[in-house]
Amino acid sequence: MQPKKSTKIISAIIIVLFLAIMVFPFFWILITSFKPGEEIFGKTAFRIIAENPTTANYETVIGKGILNSIKNSLIVSLITTVYVVAVSTLSSYILARCRFKGKSLLMALILGVSMFPQMIVVGPIFNMFYKLNLLNSYWVTLAYSSITLPSATWIMVAHFKRIPASLEEAAHIDGCNQWQTLWKIIFPIALPGVFTCAIMTFISAWNEYLLTCTLNSDKMYQTVPVAINALRTQFSILWGEITAATVIVVIPTLIIVLLFQKQIVSGMVSGAVKE
Amino acid sequence: MKKAITPKQAAFLLPLLLLLAVFAVYPIVTSIVYSLFDYRTNDPAAAGLYTGTNFNAPLFYEDCDYSAWYLEDDVSVLTGDDAAELQAAADELKALSEPYKDAKEVVEMSKADSEKMAETIRDLRERILAVYERNPDAEYWNGPEKLTILLDEMDGCRISGNFQGLAAYKKLLSDSRFGKSLKSTLIFTVISVFFELVLGMALALIMNKAIKGIGGVRTTALIPWAIPTAVSALMWSYMYDGSNGIVAKIFADIGLISSPEQMLLSAGGAMSAAILADVWKTTPYMALLLLAGLQIIDTGLYESAKVDGASAVRTFFSVTLPLLKPSMLVALLFRTLDAFRVYDLIAVLTGGAQGTETLSIYAYKLMISQSNYGYGSAVVLAMAICVALIAFFFVKFLGAELISDD
Repeated sequence: MQPKKSTKIISAIIIVLFLAIMVFPFFWILITSFKPGEEIFGKTAFRIIAENPTTANYETVIGKGILNSIKNSLIVSLITTVYVVAVSTLSSYILARCRFKGKSLLMALILGVSMFPQMIVVGPIFNMFYKLNLLNSYWVTLAYSSITLPSATWIMVAHFKRIPASLEEAAHIDGCNQWQTLWKIIFPIALPGVFTCAIMTFISAWNEYLLTCTLNSDKMYQTVPVAINALRTQFSILWGEITAATVIVVIPTLIIVLLFQKQIVSGMVSGAVKE
Repeated sequence: MKKAITPKQAAFLLPLLLLLAVFAVYPIVTSIVYSLFDYRTNDPAAAGLYTGTNFNAPLFYEDCDYSAWYLEDDVSVLTGDDAAELQAAADELKALSEPYKDAKEVVEMSKADSEKMAETIRDLRERILAVYERNPDAEYWNGPEKLTILLDEMDGCRISGNFQGLAAYKKLLSDSRFGKSLKSTLIFTVISVFFELVLGMALALIMNKAIKGIGGVRTTALIPWAIPTAVSALMWSYMYDGSNGIVAKIFADIGLISSPEQMLLSAGGAMSAAILADVWKTTPYMALLLLAGLQIIDTGLYESAKVDGASAVRTFFSVTLPLLKPSMLVALLFRTLDAFRVYDLIAVLTGGAQGTETLSIYAYKLMISQSNYGYGSAVVLAMAICVALIAFFFVKFLGAELISDD
């Protein structure tokens, strides 16, 4: 099927426009981050190239401990990813393969939790953490399970369902026990799915704002999204520093997207696209 | 083939069940319980879930102590029976407060005890005031007014429970701020999801046709989706800034807004700003989901449509759309629910000012900023009910398939 030339041109224009709109904010943030304070305001605010480019903004935000919050984000996101992937892999295998009483109820609960407003867990979890004296600590990572675990389980169930059950029967006949079957046969085949699940979990943990903002108000434990917003004080908005910090924290995301875009797309789609 | 579960396999499910129980089921149930109480952690009288009467023992001890002290002062200016009577009242107060000498917090109290104490205080009050009335001309150190205040406060130490049943939900119906935030949430949700669907569909159709360069487009599209909403909202708030924001300036230059300051400081401007930032961030997500749905449609169908002489528009509505419907509905449902519970974006961009206060923002302000967990939970649960209604509508009336268990 050959589309008409005019359609092709219109499509190309739309795509270029789309790309321009997607990229423009990043571009503008990047150039602002190199402008000295006085050039961000007034007449020079809309100049594309800074008259006196400077890296002072970067030095200031690094001095203000943006690297510490990147470290916090990494710690919290990695812990979340590891335990959520482990838990969801184990249980999804059973959910995809076995039948038992209350399974549809459990699946409905998992789906329901992923659809419910997150705000519903914030109050009680805050009080729970307050009573257990866990506020301002890395324990916040456990609270992340209410956001990440349902969708991770959902992705993994979809992946396990695609693996033919005959493989396991063959393994069973060859004398593998349940555990060996899971580790030696199923897990290697499901690995791409596990990886997708890990990337998706990492991204949602990395992006989490509401829970950390509420549970970890101490600067020591702030993650990136919260720390960046803390740069905006009541009295002044230091756009130079904010844009520099944004550039620094967008870089890890950029690397993840460039390296793992296939897995990300497959993770977004699983469960949502009906085959 | 599916096998019945063995106990060993059931053990695999344990960690999932445990985490879900602690971090999902428990908070949800707790929220429901909170919403039935007038639970406010910044007010000692309501800082817990009290079904029975509570007794502010430390305050009661203090009040009794002061009353006894005041009375003893006044005893010195009286003589005879009246002096003895006042002294007796002071002694009774001391005896009454003795058990609470070391009390440090609010304690629970049975209904019978509460009534008994009310009776005792009433009796004491009558006797004390009677003595003062009989000797109106004596020059008291303290006098009846001070004692009345203390006795009133003593009565106030017994706090009846803060269980209020469904009163908070009733309050929602007459709370205009709730109504307003529901309205802004719906406006935000409907408009942003509509634009995301239309633009996402256009992009998906184009990307489905084009083979060259799709990888680059896909990578670019993923970046806005992958960065934290709180960060992208901050980027936009810079570009919307009234004095140095490029987007506000462009919009003012082409006449969409009267001046750059109007972008975030006028009602219409702030809501449009939030919607635009949301559309920017999630259209790519929608496009990629729809693209995946398009890619599983058999291309043979398009060719037969062409052979039959169907126009491009006709093909879209008769072939593409019906086949895309299942994927589209699920994508739409998830986006709708996501937009409905929007928090990060609005919290960073406007903080809920200029008519952009959504339900999440209102609930958060109630619970975390005002420590009003009872009413805040009622708002959150009203949100949850809306979410359930939206999901129900999608599944029942539009036929979205969420759980396909074969």
